[in-house]
Amino acid sequence: MKHRAVWSAVLVAALALAGCGSAGGTRSPSGGADGKLVVWDWKSGEASARAYLEKAKADFARKHPDVTVEFVAQPFEQYYTLLGTAIQAGKGPDVMLFNGGGQIRDRADALLPLDEYLTDDRQRLAGWDAFTKDGKTYAAPVTLQGHPIYYNRALYDKAGLDPASPATTWSKFLADCATITRRTGAKCLALGNKEGYGIQFFLSAFGSGVFSTQEYDDWIAGKRDWTSPHVKRIFALWKEAQDAKLNSDGANSTAMFNDSFAIFQSAKAAHVIGLMSDVGHWKDFSEFLTAEKLGVMRAPVVVPGATPSLPYDGGIGYGVARWTRDPRVAADLVRSLTSTDALKSFYADAGAIAADTTIDVSQGGPAVATIVADLKAGKPALHVALSSKTLELMGRLSQQLLSGSISVDEAVKQLAASDQAG
Amino acid sequence: MPVPEAAPSVRPAPTGRAGGTPPRSVPPAPTVSRRGRGGRRAERLAPFVLLAPALLILALLRFWPLLLGVNFSFTGDGDRDGLMVGLDNYRELLGDPLFRDALGNVGLLVLLLPVAVAIPGLLATLIYLRVPGHRLYRSVYFFPAVLSPVIVGAIFNLLLAFDGPLNALLGGVGIGPVDWLGDPDVAMFVVVGVHVWATFGMALVVFLAGFATLDASLLDAARVDGASLPQTVRHVIVPSLARTIQFVFVTTMIGMLTSMFGLLYVMTSGGPEGSTYLPEYYIWIQQGQMNRPALASAASTVLFLIMLVVGLLQISLLRRAVREA
Repeated sequence: MKHRAVWSAVLVAALALAGCGSAGGTRSPSGGADGKLVVWDWKSGEASARAYLEKAKADFARKHPDVTVEFVAQPFEQYYTLLGTAIQAGKGPDVMLFNGGGQIRDRADALLPLDEYLTDDRQRLAGWDAFTKDGKTYAAPVTLQGHPIYYNRALYDKAGLDPASPATTWSKFLADCATITRRTGAKCLALGNKEGYGIQFFLSAFGSGVFSTQEYDDWIAGKRDWTSPHVKRIFALWKEAQDAKLNSDGANSTAMFNDSFAIFQSAKAAHVIGLMSDVGHWKDFSEFLTAEKLGVMRAPVVVPGATPSLPYDGGIGYGVARWTRDPRVAADLVRSLTSTDALKSFYADAGAIAADTTIDVSQGGPAVATIVADLKAGKPALHVALSSKTLELMGRLSQQLLSGSISVDEAVKQLAASDQAG
Repeated sequence: MPVPEAAPSVRPAPTGRAGGTPPRSVPPAPTVSRRGRGGRRAERLAPFVLLAPALLILALLRFWPLLLGVNFSFTGDGDRDGLMVGLDNYRELLGDPLFRDALGNVGLLVLLLPVAVAIPGLLATLIYLRVPGHRLYRSVYFFPAVLSPVIVGAIFNLLLAFDGPLNALLGGVGIGPVDWLGDPDVAMFVVVGVHVWATFGMALVVFLAGFATLDASLLDAARVDGASLPQTVRHVIVPSLARTIQFVFVTTMIGMLTSMFGLLYVMTSGGPEGSTYLPEYYIWIQQGQMNRPALASAASTVLFLIMLVVGLLQISLLRRAVREA
């Protein structure tokens, strides 16, 4: 009896002690012993980022010769899992790389607002919105990430279409696709939706051809009207593309990275919604198709009155942990990592569209020139505004739409519920 | 209850010393009692000291994290980080069709278990009965067991791709292509099939070991009595191997519930349409992708309870098997 009482007391005490904790962990200051900054990313191990990092490090060393910087490259697949664990343990790095949008916003409470340190870079760099939450900036953009519609000019030629004037309306796009498939045997769109990313790219790439300017801006601002017929139109368009056999076969079991891009590169499909930076971008495609044969088109107009624009956001950016010892030094490192010189190397070596819009890209071929020219009128991508929970749901629903096991109405209803729940 | 049992065993020593042999010199009474008490305490503490390392490791690395995890499952995520939210996470889990699907898939795995056990059992029987080439088969069957799930998944991703070799083969004989990993009605069975392919070698070895203990005279007797192969299997082999079969059942079940993650991650990413989610994968997604550690803790607790039930079932099965033997 007595022992049982003792054990119960121990258990209760343990639970009471544990009750002080939380799944999010306690945030005690840790990393960054004096004179050292630890940076986490998934880029520093890559050869194409070497020159970029060397220039950034040199720039930082000029400003703070007594501070050493250690770059720790993590595997990207595990990055946010590892980072989340490190944040919970309060043992995170001082400076860390983030994807824009949900990934950084979800973790903003572990980050330091950087507005006061970065005022001088505001004009030079683009893509800030993706790293902003509630009016505070949590990272400085390094690259821009967007979703241009790439097309294979050689297939247009072969099909007897003019590669210089791709379709500007949805009906013309459908007609062109039919022609291409008939004359060349190639599919219209290379689609990989195994992970559910296909719908995200589709929503952003074709959305500006459906929404009015007002609707678009409202969507980004968080005032999303899911009952609008135009929202429904986009998801109907996704289904229509499948029913019209525009998509490459087996989209639900094709990985976007990099199987769907491989379909486009091997000229088995005429179009693909790609990326601007990282992978699946103009430089990757140019290596297979040559730069002259790669075109970039704007979204075709689906609903008259829409003004198609290039969807893009800040792609990746460096943020500073709340627990770093000297925020000013860490912010200076972030500034070095986004300096014009360093970013120029990143553009040239990795093919990233750098956040610094003053970089000259005229040597890169017509596709990259079109992209950079479109940046000015470009807008944030529609899917980036959604929470990761809604995006995950959208991925599954999009697969159901492709296989026909759900109606557009039902899918939009579920998305609305998820989006409005938070 | 080690303490009351230990006490009588150490008690005789001081009494023996005090009253058994005549004392050469009478030491002052307080010293005896102090030394005696000290020795008694040391002896009483000895088992605890010896057990301490093992207990500490268990407590620190098993029970404490477990308690923390259970505790976290009652706290909130995001804005409610660290606040007690009662059963909210469990309520959310029950309301999440994805988690219900994941639990449903666990049920499916249990249903498919007999197949996963029958395949190695049947093949082991054939090897034991020395079908032509049995030596070759024995090593070939074991081969996939040494491959990591990631490699196995990558191989089958290529084979089962929509424009992959299997569909090309089917197309050659006039059967339309099947989207093996893209059709929600097919994908789970495909992944389980690949898992069985990749792991049945281990069960096969266990079965072969079981056959080694089989009484050959029984088989000879059956043969003399003119039993057919199915009759031999039904009436001689299965009853003799009851313990082995039970063991393989339990280990296969645990393997299916705990080590499918790699295959799912590589082959389907939980898709299509969430049809291949298992609780493990759900936990990983919530923790790593959705930044919902508390919800993931709740899901982990549910998975732990499921595994506890399976584990207890395992113990009772094995205990019964031993008793029968």
